[in-house]
Amino acid sequence: MRTLTASPVGGRTWRDLDEFQEYIDTGGMVEPGDEMPDEYRNEVFRFIEFHANSELMGGLTERDWIPHAPGLRLKQVFLAKTQDEIGHAHLLYMIAADMGRKTRTEMLGDLFDGRSRFHNVFHYQAVTWADQVAIAFLVDAAAFASQRAVFAECTYGPYKRVLKRIVAEEGFHMRHGEEMLLRLATGTATQREMFQAALDRWWWPSVQLFGPDSPPGDADPLLRWKIKSERNEALRHAYVQKYVPLLQGYGFDIPDDGLHQVDGQWKTSEIDWEPLKATMRNGGPASARRIRAAADNWSDTAWVREALG
Amino acid sequence: MSDTSTSANVPTTNTLRHAVSAAIATVTDPEYPDVSIVELGLLESIEIDAVNPTITAHVGLIPTFGGCPALAMIAADVRHAVEAVDGVGRCIVNWLPRPVWTTKRMTAGARRTLADDYTVVLRRKDGGLRCPVCGGGDVDDQSLAGPTRCRSIAWCNGCRNAVEVMRN
Repeated sequence: MRTLTASPVGGRTWRDLDEFQEYIDTGGMVEPGDEMPDEYRNEVFRFIEFHANSELMGGLTERDWIPHAPGLRLKQVFLAKTQDEIGHAHLLYMIAADMGRKTRTEMLGDLFDGRSRFHNVFHYQAVTWADQVAIAFLVDAAAFASQRAVFAECTYGPYKRVLKRIVAEEGFHMRHGEEMLLRLATGTATQREMFQAALDRWWWPSVQLFGPDSPPGDADPLLRWKIKSERNEALRHAYVQKYVPLLQGYGFDIPDDGLHQVDGQWKTSEIDWEPLKATMRNGGPASARRIRAAADNWSDTAWVREALG
Repeated sequence: MSDTSTSANVPTTNTLRHAVSAAIATVTDPEYPDVSIVELGLLESIEIDAVNPTITAHVGLIPTFGGCPALAMIAADVRHAVEAVDGVGRCIVNWLPRPVWTTKRMTAGARRTLADDYTVVLRRKDGGLRCPVCGGGDVDDQSLAGPTRCRSIAWCNGCRNAVEVMRN
């Protein structure tokens, strides 16, 4: 059992890769001062950098909606969510930078120059308020499921400790998502139409967030190193089982003509992975605009960083 | 805590008060799903109004920070828990403007859970910080603004972990 308070003595060394793998397989937690195989260090670093980028880009999209959120209370919720995501990004960039692969400035530079990746869902445009509700209800839930599965094992100590708080806070966001969905679902015909249109836009990106099937066996180093605890297809399957009946229960249509059940299990039609691949090349529908907005935000706030020293 | 009930039904209201108090203790903070709001020091008063035909519990809570986005959710959870108490007809939750919440209101248990499970610590009296992971004192503040209004961000140079600090 990997506990959060495991003594981070650090300085552990390994005879070979097998000994390191055995340490991982028997519940060991890797701390910053430990020797790490290059592949482990690189993979864990890339994963945390991707997560940090996604929190930052997600926070900036939440921020865009603060002025448009209907009512003071929802504005307050979006303010808080923005602070949450940016704070998570800050924590994640700190532990990523500590791994010695790139500094925080280099990571941000790569992000703003379109050289690094972030979650597919932040490469799309939110058209109406209902899109923001769909994001809070569907996308946050998908992100929550995937983060919780990482937290469940997560052999890198500093990441696991940060994830504990992130997962708790994402659970809190999901409750806001449910509350906002309920308002639209029990609202006027126009509100329901708005949400259906948003669902049509966000269903597939949410399902695709989990990624294509993991490579067979333990070919995925993140599974082998126990950063991920579940295969992509298993997480995606569980998500579909939960959200299809939930959305149908509210009277909405899942935008998938091929959706069917086999032995009581929901199956989507064959997933077209091209949109996901396009976002990973930063070639999604709103990638360029989002990246430019993030870069502009960074340069516009330079004076604050200077003032604070 | 004050009691607005008449002396004739003191035993009833006392029993009810205990039941209400126990119900509130089951409500956890949405951002720390295993820490009770009572342990965090949010509960200030319980008043049982048994004079009305409907027995009403007035619960006074204080927020850790003004503008905390969890207040509506916490109030709804408290209402739900208290109205499930046998004998209580209605629960009214009030967010009180004072006293002002400080970290002193947290119980030792809550502090321990936050430190052990969430890597969140309280500032020492001398203003210093002790790392909740390695216990070392070489911890530097990084940013006053953390992921929530009630927390700031620090870094432990000893064990190289990101640490969060409850703000007063």
